[in-house]
This record gives sequence, structure tokens and C-alpha cells, in this order.
Amino acid sequence: MGDALLADYKRREFLQLLGGGATLTLPLGSAETPVRVRLAENGIYEAFTGKIEMGQGARTLLTQALAEELQARVEKIRLVMGDTDRVPDDGGTWASLTAPETVPAARRDAAAFAGRPLTEPAQWRVLGTSAPPLHGREVVTGGLRYCSDLRVESMRHGRIVRPDAYRARLESYDDLAARKLAGVQVVREGDLLGVVAPDAQTAARAAALMRAQWKAEPLPDRDALMRSLRETAVPPVEVKDTRYPPLIRRGDVDTALGSAHRRLWSTYQTAPIAHAALEPRAAIAQWDGGRLTVFCGKQAPFLIRAELAKAFGVPETRVRVMVAMPGGAFGGKQRGECEWEAAVLARAAGAPVRVAWTREEEFRIAYARPPAVIDVESGVDAAGRLTAWRFRNYNSGAPGLAPPYAIPHMSNEFWRAASPLRQGSYRALAATANNFARESQVDEWAHALGRDPVEFRLANLEDARLREVIERGAARFGWGKRKAGAGIGFGMACNLEKAARLALFVETEGAGPALRLRRMVAVGDFGAALHPDNLRNQMQGAIIQGLGGALWERLEFDGDAQRTRRLSQYRLPRFRDIPDIAIELIDRREIASAGAGESPITLPAPAIANALFAATGERRRSLPLAVG
Amino acid sequence: MKLRLDINGRKLRLHVPRGIRLLDLLRDYAGLTGTKYGCGEGQCGACVVLVDGVARKSCLLTAASAVGKKIVTIEGVASGQRLHAVQEAFLEHAAFQCGFCTPGMILAAAALLERNPQPSAGEIAAALQGHLCRCGTYPRIVAAVTAASRRKAARRG
Ligand code: FES
Ligand code: FES
Repeated sequence: MGDALLADYKRREFLQLLGGGATLTLPLGSAETPVRVRLAENGIYEAFTGKIEMGQGARTLLTQALAEELQARVEKIRLVMGDTDRVPDDGGTWASLTAPETVPAARRDAAAFAGRPLTEPAQWRVLGTSAPPLHGREVVTGGLRYCSDLRVESMRHGRIVRPDAYRARLESYDDLAARKLAGVQVVREGDLLGVVAPDAQTAARAAALMRAQWKAEPLPDRDALMRSLRETAVPPVEVKDTRYPPLIRRGDVDTALGSAHRRLWSTYQTAPIAHAALEPRAAIAQWDGGRLTVFCGKQAPFLIRAELAKAFGVPETRVRVMVAMPGGAFGGKQRGECEWEAAVLARAAGAPVRVAWTREEEFRIAYARPPAVIDVESGVDAAGRLTAWRFRNYNSGAPGLAPPYAIPHMSNEFWRAASPLRQGSYRALAATANNFARESQVDEWAHALGRDPVEFRLANLEDARLREVIERGAARFGWGKRKAGAGIGFGMACNLEKAARLALFVETEGAGPALRLRRMVAVGDFGAALHPDNLRNQMQGAIIQGLGGALWERLEFDGDAQRTRRLSQYRLPRFRDIPDIAIELIDRREIASAGAGESPITLPAPAIANALFAATGERRRSLPLAVG
Repeated sequence: MKLRLDINGRKLRLHVPRGIRLLDLLRDYAGLTGTKYGCGEGQCGACVVLVDGVARKSCLLTAASAVGKKIVTIEGVASGQRLHAVQEAFLEHAAFQCGFCTPGMILAAAALLERNPQPSAGEIAAALQGHLCRCGTYPRIVAAVTAASRRKAARRG
């Protein structure tokens, strides 16, 4: 068992071996007050964090941070993650905050524990090195227990009966056939209809035998959906002290647009897409009197604890959420849907119940990345400098709203809309849609003014680090050395997102469904590189994941239902889609680290759209790009 | 129904629901959860195991069809504590993030190297095209498999 959390239970709690597999007994409560570090037996430090590992490297990185300040070897530290009864609430594992916030917090707490001052970055011996990922051996031997691999004593298996429609009310049901199966119990709570059975196969059969009448809600078609986002949107007001301000203004944009030498106006769109983490979600819930214990694979154990406490009308102190590693999350595993379902079924069954979603449920029931409609209006002066910029994002969100460019008059606005879709967080949130619109518009300016896209950007940028990133990328790529044409295009995009400075250069071939990548060069400056190899891995992975949303991904709806239900209906990046990718890091030890898990995903869509324009003269302003 | 299966060199007798997929038998009845469910329709490769040395998607096989064949799962690739060359190479290249795709990738790569000991990068990509890595570690996986093939060649020397 790889996860230290579970290894810990293995040691502390009763464990049974069944047919080679491990069965855990859910521990019931623990009176310990959360601390950050303590000395356990045999010179082992036990450390605690509310962050979780989902493949992004938080376990290794936080362990390195602790090891650095405790002056201990990495192997001497056992990090307990994401158990709400035992760890401090470090906030959800989202927004790339582990490196900029939790690493400093862990270092401070460890230094205080050790009674030493913080180690200066120049003196680091553990941080700044590429320690092997701590979950590596369990990964390659198949021993790592993900949330869907957990089983507990006396556990039963739940399955939810779903309507075909996207949203529907349960009117009536007939469970006669299902209940003929041995050991099957039917549970209804409001519009939730489920079955509980002794094994997963019987649960699936029972659910298929259920006959239910639903009253479906209609859904708008794609065009009507996109129209409705602008029609239902409400203008933002200024909010101070918030992570993602919905309105960022400077100067007088209306006057500046009116007096601009030239103006451009464009609308950009992005489709709703699925996270499609490789592991579908799973949860196990158990009630003991008024206490609820849940095992899950979610990014935000404390948020899910709050959701469950509210849903069942119990105090948070009577809910314990424990996280086992999810097989990918990407912002899609932040809410407690499947945990709530398991808890409803477990309460009715009087036994621990596991609910594991199928891939189809992942597609149909989970929330999606919100679609975006973005209006951009901008102007330049006679010298070709950007002077006015009005940017309106409808529906998709405020992150990444402001441009990195030095524009004297601007208004960046996020207009909240009434979307009929289940939508929520996604890796980098709206920063991908916002950078697509922004970097497309800037590219449109470069071409409209007959300027080179790299030179035009540099002329409008003041941030020295971002300029260096772009210059390095251009040199490595050989920007401007060859002419686009004959189906080949060259494009680039940059971003200053969550304090990271980024640029991506791409070479594309073909258009429409035949569009493909030939080459990519990415440069990133994330401040101090705390774990250089993991930074490269995250940067490359985010860019590859971003190819899907840029080129192919789009959830399809029709009438009252979601049509996209299977991986075979949803094109994702695969081996043969991946061109040669060069990743270059600029390590600035003296500058606080920016997180890296998200921001690079904002680069591929605009870089590819810009390359496509260079090759074909056609400006595509809607994602995905490689559809008919 | 009762089935006798040969899994990772052990003969197992298991009592399982009729018609069960090999994937579910491995995970739910043999305790071998290293084999993963990702899609159930042959699209992701997370469930790949070796059946008589051939990489097969266990979500598309009934358990009954595996009777009389030798099944190897990720738990059975290493010889005791000694990792398979592909496992070692995945570790050395950190060719994973969440690692959920890794068991299937390793088994498919091991089968590839058995039939083609020196595959090109293109041949590796083609052999693994049916495997998804949502974390986007594809280039690292190709590098790891290439390194494993070199190491195996060096060992054969
Ligand atoms: S689960 Fe078998 S291929 Fe996806
Ligand atoms: S490492 Fe996460 S799916 Fe491949």
C-alpha cells in the first residue's frame, strides 16, 4: 500500500487480507488535534497536510520542503495528506497553490518545530533538486491504492439509476424485477434512485432492471446555448481582495477606444469540455450512529466535509473525509456528488456502501468546464501601440482576465451568466479561454499592422521576465527563419498567469480535421524551480492536455440529453498526436515559486489558432479548432 | 460460477458471478487492483494485462475466456524484488504523474519488447496508441520504453 495515509491505517487499524487484496476497516473518529509535524517512533517525523496528491507531485514536494527545514532525509518523513480528522485545513488542492502557499507554510512550521531559522534558498540541499517521486515504486508495481481500489469490511455496492435526460425529476419507479435479485435493496431520496447489492455486478444488473419515469428538462441546442450566455449575463462590480477579481480597470477605455487610430472587434468562443481524468470517481461511506466517515479521491476534503455535513444536517465534527490518491483530477474532483450518493445509500443500507462511477457517469453527471463567449474590442495608436482594451468574458470565469501587456486604458470584465449546464472548476479555469481570446486578438493586431507577432508582443510588453521567456523561445524555435505556407504554419502565444511567465511556439500542418502539430517549443519561468523535473513534467503534461481542448474536445447535447457518453465519442490526445516538444525552464532561485500545474494549459489553443492563420489566412475564433 | 485461473504463476480457484469480465474478476475477486478500469470499452488501455504473453484489454474479455491461459498482471511483472527493465525505466524517467495509466502502459511495453526488442519511437507510439495518459506523459513514456529496450539489449550483450 503506497499512500502514507493508508500505510498509516494499515499500521494503526485492523487489516485483513482477502484473496491477496487488502480490506480496510474504516476508522471511527480520532481525537487528535491537527498539527503540522511531530516526532513519531524511530526518528521518523510524521507530518500533516490538507493538500492531496493527484499526480501533480505535492507529496514529494511538500516532503522535500519539510526535509529541508527539519534537516532530515526525505525517507524520514511520513506525510499524512487529506484526512480531515488529522490534518490542518490547507485549503483545497487547486489553483496551483501548493508551491506558492503550502510549501512556505510547511517550511515555516517545520523550521519552528526544529527551532531553526528558515533555510535561505541559496543554501537549499533538498528543495531545488529533482527527488524521485515518492509514489513511484507503488505506481510501477501496481501497489498504489487509488480511491477506486479501496474496499472495507462488510462493504456493499451501490449503483445509481440515472435518467437519460441531462436533468430530470423522478416521477415514479417500478423495482419489482430488481428486487428479485438476491440481496438487493432499493433506495430513493428525492430524485436520487439507487440500488445496493452484495457485489458490483449484481448492483449493475439491478440498476438496469429498474424501471423509472422521469420528467425531463429541455436543453438549448449549441447555438442557443452560446446566445443565452450573452443574453443572461450580468455586468460585474469591482471586488477588492479576491483571488479572481471580476472587473479590472485602468484609465478610460471608452474615450480611448473612441480616439484610437485603428480598432478591432472580435468574438471568441470555447466549448464545454470534460476533465476525463483516467480514474472515474469512487467513494465509500459508512455511518456509525450520527457519525459519517467517507473515503474518496477528491481535491478538497474539507470542502466535501462541509458539503456532507450540510446535506445531512450534522456538525462538521461528525463527518470525517479521507482522501486516497485520485488517478487524475484536473479540477474535476472538487465536489462531493459521489460521496453524497454513497452516504445516502449507506444510511439506508445500514452498512458501508461503495459508489464507483462508470465512464459514462463521468461524462454525463460530472460538471464540465464552462463554455465561454468572449468579446474583445481594442485599439492602437498611430505608432501601433495597444492603447485601449475592452475584454468581456461571458460565463466562463474571471481567472486570467487581465492582459500582461502595458495598455493604458482597459476594462477586463467577467459577466456571470445563467448557464443550463453543470459547470465547475477545471485546470486553470477560465484562464485558458481568456488567453485564447487575448492572444488571438493580439495576433490579429500583428497581422493587421503587418508586424511580426513576436516583435509586436515585445513592443507592447514591459515585464522583463516575460520578454526573456519569449525571446528565448523564439531563438530556440528558430522563429522567423522559415515562411509559413503549403499547409505549414508557425504560431506562438505567451501568458503571465499565476505569476508564471510562459511562451509556446508551434509548427502546424493542415487544417480542419487533418490539423496536426509538427513541433513545439515551450519556455517557462516559474520563479524558483523547487523540483525541476516535476516542473518539466507538469509543463509538458499541461500542454499536451491542452491540445485536446484546443483541437477536438466538445461535449455534445441534443434535445434534453448529453450525447457525449463514452471515450470513443470524445477525441483526446494520444501518442501519435504528440510532436517533438522542447521544454525550457528558467530557474530564478531568488524569486518565490509560482505553481505550475495549471498555467501552461493556457498556451496551446491560441498558439495553434495563430499558426493556422499564418498557414491558411483563416482566423478561427472558436474552440475546438480541428473540427469540420 | 467457479473458475480456475492461472494468474501471475499462481493457480487460483475463484467463485465469481456468471459472465464476469476478466477486469472485474482481477480487481474484485483476486485482489489485484493494479489492473485499472478507465472506460470499459477498449479505449483507454488502463485494464491491459498479458494473456499468454499478448497485451489484451481485460475489460473486453470474459473471465471464462481466460481459463487455461497464463495471465500476467502488473503485480506479476517483477521477479520478486527485482523490477522488470520497463518498470525500472519508468521510474528513472519519472514517466508518469498520477500513474493510473502506468500498469497498462508497462505491460503493453513489455509485450512489445518481447516481439520487437529494438522498436523505434514511432513503433512504440503505434503499439501504445490504444492507451490514454490524461496527465500527458507520452514523451516520457516513449523515452522510458526506448531506454528499457537499450538496457535489455545491453543485458543480452
Ligand atoms: S478499461 Fe479497458 S480499455 Fe479502458
Ligand atoms: S500518469 Fe495519469 S493518466 Fe498517465
